[in-house]
Amino acid sequence: MVYHTIYITLLIILSFMLLACMIRAVKGPRIADRLMAVNMMGTMVMVMIAVLALMLKEGYLVDICLIYAMISFLAVVVLSKVYIGVYEEKHRQKKSPDEGTVKEELSDGNV
Amino acid sequence: MEMFEWMKIIIGSAFLLCGIVIFFTELFGVFHFKYVLNRMHAAAMGDTLGITSCLIGLMIFSGFNYTTLKIFLIILFLWFASPVSSHVLSRLEAATNEDLSKHCEIYEDLRILEQELSDRGTANDEKEETI
Repeated sequence: MVYHTIYITLLIILSFMLLACMIRAVKGPRIADRLMAVNMMGTMVMVMIAVLALMLKEGYLVDICLIYAMISFLAVVVLSKVYIGVYEEKHRQKKSPDEGTVKEELSDGNV
Repeated sequence: MEMFEWMKIIIGSAFLLCGIVIFFTELFGVFHFKYVLNRMHAAAMGDTLGITSCLIGLMIFSGFNYTTLKIFLIILFLWFASPVSSHVLSRLEAATNEDLSKHCEIYEDLRILEQELSDRGTANDEKEETI
């Protein structure tokens, strides 16, 4: 009974914190802000899943927590790599009409 | 036996409370600081210390079985993953921000920074430098 009360309290507090993280993710002025907020939400959801695993006495939920950690890590790494790629592509397209010579040099260098 | 059970509850709750307080500090820092690289400092704290403390509390609650081992594996994985993801995020910020120098000092050449740091080191404590 005591355990149940502790778990329920923990889950309620964590869910409010999750809401605050969501506000940060919506507000964040830069992309890195949003990704960081998503990372934080992942951390809190991991704690919530671990609490649920103990509350429902289902040990396999902890496996899901481990997989969630891996996927959250992968999402952050892949998304930031993708955004760096997108930014560089946009930057090159913006620069190329002004400086045609630079672009030619770059393409020569790449070949 | 009853005594042991109460001890378990009290110690586990203390760890959980510690974790919740650290999460709260993390949230406060994330809303308080003005720039992403500053906010990341607060967020990384919760990613490592906050979740470790919470999960240690849950490990004490769970007792000695396979679930405890799996929870320990989560902590071990986060120790490796959290610094890497922080590093990748800060690289994203440094690569995509046009006016980064408005927010922090930038050294174009790494040797300038090393020179400055070594100068500061010799000025502060010459003893350590000689050893």
